[in-house]
Amino acid sequence: MTYVENIFVCLAAPLLVAMIFMGKKSCRFFLFAFAGMGACLLSAYLNSFFAQLYQADLMNASTQIAPVVEEVMKLMPLLFYLLVFEPESERIPSSVLTIAVSFATFENIVYLTQSGAENLAHLFIRGFGTGAMHIVCGAIICYGLVYVWQRNWLKIAGTAGLLGASITYHATYNLLVAHGGITQYIGYALPLVSLLLTGVMIKLATQLPSPVEVAKEGGAEESQIWK
Amino acid sequence: MVELLDNLTQSAATLIAFIGASILYYRTRRQSFFLLACFLGCFMLGTFHWTLYILLFDSSPQVFYVSELAWNASFLFLLTLAYLLATEEEKKFRHPVLLLVPVFCIPQLILYLSRGEIFANLLMVGLTMAVAFFAMRGFVFARRQSGQARNLQYFHGAVLVIIFLEFGLWTSSCFWISDTMSNPYFWFDFLLSASLLALVPAMKKAVTA
Repeated sequence: MTYVENIFVCLAAPLLVAMIFMGKKSCRFFLFAFAGMGACLLSAYLNSFFAQLYQADLMNASTQIAPVVEEVMKLMPLLFYLLVFEPESERIPSSVLTIAVSFATFENIVYLTQSGAENLAHLFIRGFGTGAMHIVCGAIICYGLVYVWQRNWLKIAGTAGLLGASITYHATYNLLVAHGGITQYIGYALPLVSLLLTGVMIKLATQLPSPVEVAKEGGAEESQIWK
Repeated sequence: MVELLDNLTQSAATLIAFIGASILYYRTRRQSFFLLACFLGCFMLGTFHWTLYILLFDSSPQVFYVSELAWNASFLFLLTLAYLLATEEEKKFRHPVLLLVPVFCIPQLILYLSRGEIFANLLMVGLTMAVAFFAMRGFVFARRQSGQARNLQYFHGAVLVIIFLEFGLWTSSCFWISDTMSNPYFWFDFLLSASLLALVPAMKKAVTA
């Protein structure tokens, strides 16, 4: 049995002391770090609860229950922040990524306490794989939300779409890793490859002509072009 | 084997359609292509996950269908698209043929509720029913227009075909025959893949002169 709440207390205590001494400027970062770790802690409880409820074994729980619970729990503190504080769009990415990173860190620590820390090569691959996967899911949510929440007509469908996309991505990663064998390593590589491909696509997109100019040249009316 | 082939075909079809819609959005920056790309992208993700599960574990998920979340989100995008395409005049338009939507959908919903989960079925059928209502209204309304506005009938027609095939798919899955091509489920699913592909040219014809 793993006492996740004890691990949470151990990790949160020094961070809490640091937050008090580092002043107001760093307060937001620490609060989101606590939110990410808290979301991970609650996810562990909810995963166990649903696994018990549906009589799911470890394989079914990790491929079908955990992705849904974890992504929804990660979104909760962010939705609270967006709805209550209505932050400026440039503040959203750092908040989401802090939640994602602290969630991944807490999950890795719990994994270490459960499985031991003897096999460095496996832990190295897993650490990068899982860490990058949570970053990719966080990035899907954060850059998507910045875009979606500026357009009223897209808020509901867009948020649901982003949540659906991040859950499916997470579930695909868990599916590949849980299957074992060579697919396990494809799974671990998937997030890093996704990050790399996204970087290349962003670089290519900046080299292409502006779509608005292309649209105007193509004869689209002013009102039909998004600014 | 047929199921795997069917799912691989649908994954490929939705990927091609998604890329097509994304290119059209990049070229024109039209809201319609953006929402269409979102619909096809989410649908593709759900289908891809489902295919991967069948490929790796040789069975469908036992506890929860993660893919269904992506499919729900995709229909939410399609609903937003169908709603935003409607003009003020179209929104007030009513016709007796709209009653066909609940007449067609509700008996099948009752069948699904008697065999499966309540919440998931209500959500999926509710969403698709709303999409079908907007598409049917848009189709009848567009048929009464002239010029460019009339071209919207192609998009709404394609959406109606997709919804019809989805219901056919779900209903045939309630009466599973076999894993061969004699099962109507696969006919509906192959046709669905084709109609998802056809949605992109239909939308192009509808919104570009």
